[in-house]
Amino acid sequence: MADEGVASHYQVLEELGRGSFGVVYKAIEKRTGETVAIKHIDLESSDDDIQEIQQEISVLSTCASNYVTQYKASFLRGHKLWIVMEYLGGGSCLDLLKPGIFPEMHIAIVCRELLLGLEYLHAEGKIHRDIKAANILLSENGRVKLADFGVAAQLTHMKSQRNTFVGTPFWMAPEVIQQAGYDFKADIWSLGITAIELALGEPPHAQIHPMKVLFQIPKNPPPRLEGKFSKEFKDFIAQCLVKDADHRPSAKDLLKHRFIRNAGKVEALQELIYRRKVFDAKADRQKLPVYYQETLHTISPKDDADEWVFDTVKSVAPKRGTVRSRKPSVSIHAVEEGMHKLDVKDGPLQPATPGTVRRATVRRQPSASTRRNSIRNVSSSNGSPRRASISSKRPLQPDMSFGNSGSTMRLFRRVPSDSSSSSRPGTSSEVSFTNENRPPSSYQAPVEPHSKEAFLGRRLYTKALEPCLDELHAQTAGTAKREALARLSDALAHLDAVDPEGAYHFMRSLVSTMSQDSKLSRTFLPQQSNSNHSKTPSSGTPHATVLINRPQLTPAPVLTPPTPGSNSPSKLMFATDNPHLESHMRRRESNATTDNPLGNVSRSPEKEPRERIDRERAARDLEKMALEAKFPGRPAAPGMEHCKALSDLLYARWTDGLRARWGAVAGS
Amino acid sequence: MSFLFARNRTRATMSDLPKQARDHFTKLDGPQGAAKAEELAKVLSQMKQVLQGTPDSEAPPEQILQLITAIIEEDLLYLLAVNLYRLPFESRKDTQVIFSYVFRFRPPTGPQKPEPYALAWVVEKRPQVLVELCRGYDHKESATPAGTVLREVLKNEAAAAIILYDDGDEPGSSARGIGGINQDRPQTGNGVFWSFFEWIDKSSFEVAADAFTTFREILTKHKELVPKYLAVNFDLFFSRYNTILVQSNSYVTKRQSIKLLGEILLDRSNYNVMTAYVDRGEHLKICMNLLRDDRKMVQYEGFHVFKVFVANPHKSVPVQKILLMNREKLLHFLSHFLEDRTDDEQFIDEREFLIKQIKNMPAQPVIPGGQQQQQHQQPGGGGHGR
Repeated sequence: MADEGVASHYQVLEELGRGSFGVVYKAIEKRTGETVAIKHIDLESSDDDIQEIQQEISVLSTCASNYVTQYKASFLRGHKLWIVMEYLGGGSCLDLLKPGIFPEMHIAIVCRELLLGLEYLHAEGKIHRDIKAANILLSENGRVKLADFGVAAQLTHMKSQRNTFVGTPFWMAPEVIQQAGYDFKADIWSLGITAIELALGEPPHAQIHPMKVLFQIPKNPPPRLEGKFSKEFKDFIAQCLVKDADHRPSAKDLLKHRFIRNAGKVEALQELIYRRKVFDAKADRQKLPVYYQETLHTISPKDDADEWVFDTVKSVAPKRGTVRSRKPSVSIHAVEEGMHKLDVKDGPLQPATPGTVRRATVRRQPSASTRRNSIRNVSSSNGSPRRASISSKRPLQPDMSFGNSGSTMRLFRRVPSDSSSSSRPGTSSEVSFTNENRPPSSYQAPVEPHSKEAFLGRRLYTKALEPCLDELHAQTAGTAKREALARLSDALAHLDAVDPEGAYHFMRSLVSTMSQDSKLSRTFLPQQSNSNHSKTPSSGTPHATVLINRPQLTPAPVLTPPTPGSNSPSKLMFATDNPHLESHMRRRESNATTDNPLGNVSRSPEKEPRERIDRERAARDLEKMALEAKFPGRPAAPGMEHCKALSDLLYARWTDGLRARWGAVAGS
Repeated sequence: MSFLFARNRTRATMSDLPKQARDHFTKLDGPQGAAKAEELAKVLSQMKQVLQGTPDSEAPPEQILQLITAIIEEDLLYLLAVNLYRLPFESRKDTQVIFSYVFRFRPPTGPQKPEPYALAWVVEKRPQVLVELCRGYDHKESATPAGTVLREVLKNEAAAAIILYDDGDEPGSSARGIGGINQDRPQTGNGVFWSFFEWIDKSSFEVAADAFTTFREILTKHKELVPKYLAVNFDLFFSRYNTILVQSNSYVTKRQSIKLLGEILLDRSNYNVMTAYVDRGEHLKICMNLLRDDRKMVQYEGFHVFKVFVANPHKSVPVQKILLMNREKLLHFLSHFLEDRTDDEQFIDEREFLIKQIKNMPAQPVIPGGQQQQQHQQPGGGGHGR
């Protein structure tokens, strides 16, 4: 079967649910941008005949109705079958029952939509055979759709009947249980039970053991709805639950029932979806989305000694390796290569098949957004917060907005084969259940900074470079540009981890070099533009940077140099204890004398008395160097120049926010 | 009076519909193709309704007979089969229903023919209809409706024979109807049946899986026809089966075809085919390699073929040689084989049985009794047909 490559047409996102059949993921079809649901069925894990699954597909693929979940495609990927379906964001009726039972008016709507669906199916000669709340899905706008055709039957003849005993006991019609031949009417019974389920929260006999129920249903009189419900509703259920199938009305008949005719619009069902969301939020049930991670059962190279011996014609025996390598899938290839180290002897013979190693081939890059989040959360002071908290935050939410397909593409970047295996000495130990939230491990553990320069370099990275890059990345739209930014970001992260001192020297020399070029310095170092000093290029050391133009002063005692504590790259939030803010406040205080509005902060120093500024600058020089890199008009980061306008805008926004918060203090 | 009028009118429409449909088909490629396709869809839908009736009332059999007669006269079944993939979604489903009703229909009066009226005609006079239905697997649009029709039709042995013995213009091919078939002439391998190997191996999952189901249906339903066919075409069939299907890169194709191989071999009616199969050392090698596949279900299905080789009391010398050469490895291997199948008692028993069998093999190959040998080799012109 020739569809190994089709999987790459979809970008698989988070998990929506799982069951015995497999796992359902949310995904985006790259070509159309459409959100879809993809069911992954692991064919290896079941003895069942593949034909049964195929039956489900063939029933679904011949349905074209607004009341039935739309089947889109199915294909094989290794031993997993992917079934692509329409995405229904409202969840199943069973999910929606969690916060409480449905109001009668909503049940009427659901029932009408179900009847329309059944009318369609029955006209097509199909019996669903498993109608229940769990198999009724809602779209985000309230449309009701029949789902899960796992046991549906296609009749070849209108009059033909079925005997197969399938369904879910509580919802099964008596004639199905008795296996005396049944037809479409069996679905009507199940619909009636489902209506009770929606009204009471569970089907009749829910307390009884399912096997026992199988005796009760044919024996007992049909269940009735009791209690505070309308007469119409009770009658509707009574009509559905007629034990003699011949006297049970068809879907078409029931559509004329008063209860159904008076039902409202489907949009009203959005209330149920909303209710569920509120419920989840209250109960703090909003689970972290589980993201799709590709697992491939890989091939352990066989010991030659273990191969069968077929004497003279030994070479005829198909060598696994060669057969496998013909597979078109590049990723399999990649993983396979990586697995070469994992020489698991006798792989396939062991029960748990240790030879088939599960390993995530998709991992998150230390992408900009990831790190932004982590910076917010972490207050660890080891200088490398990224690694500490990655698992505890919402993964990559900010960039998920659709249309911005560049971002979604980046979220899961395929690990190139060489980098995953060669740059990581520990690969071979990484068998089994790799956590997708595992921090990116292609970088070495960060070097602990020792020298002052190293501290500064790290600070430069965590305070300036990284946030800038994050911000820029979030603001950049083009895929190629984002990609380039991400690569730069990764490179800087790496540099920071390996050699923070190098980062420091790099930045210093960069700024000083710029200051020597009049055009560049005017553009990027605006504080010099109006100053007299700017005309006289520095005669000092090439890396004097900001200091060049100012008389060297000893740090003022008032302004303590960054302590190890404040040195810690902590939150980016504008909390009062934020070191950024502190420095900013100090700066603002100093500016207060000049009545400068806060918005001009970056330019204000020029108008201030020289000594004062100089003193201050010298004092906070080290800290500022990092801070300033964030300011507009300064080199945000090497390579970022083209985004100057953006960073200016961002800065303005930031200062606006500050002003709103600190307006009183600013005295404006 | 009005009653008579109504009757005449329906009669006219009944024979008219196929004529109209044919008309539209011929103009499908013309300048008004799109309009014709729409009209055709309407006609097909009407025909379906006549054949199917409504839940409340069925069409009178005479009316259906008229319609079917007209369909045959216009050779509409052939046109439908050839053009199935070009029809729109709903029309493809309608066509499927039309086929299935037409092929099931038995005239209400007259001699109770063993075969439904239209199907008998196709099998005798127009076998191309069935061949073209198989070709529906060339397109993913037509695969499911064609497959559904085929699986129903193939319950009929004559229809299965048409597909098995289609061999173009060769003498003895089914192209001239069921009567022209010569069962003893080996197939060239170009007939429509042999295309199934390609459809199963090369198509997308949906098509391949449907084609496989039909393929299985052909090979397992007819207990006289198929053993005879396999005996005559033993080498061609199993060489293709083993290379294209069992060694397929597709997991599903591989797994399903190993399973089907086991079913074919263990079917009593295929006894002679089975003994011929398990005599070949080549086949055992393929099978032993399946046991070492990295996917458990492939190993498992492979086991059910492997056991036939080992359980055979009259193992050929090549088979004995291979087993003896690997005796120690096999014993070790089997003792750990699929150990997690702890609740599969039959499997565990069979595995124990095989271990015992291999342990007890004489150290040197023994020439078997002989009566089982070489039966697959052209059983000779005995024309014991269907």
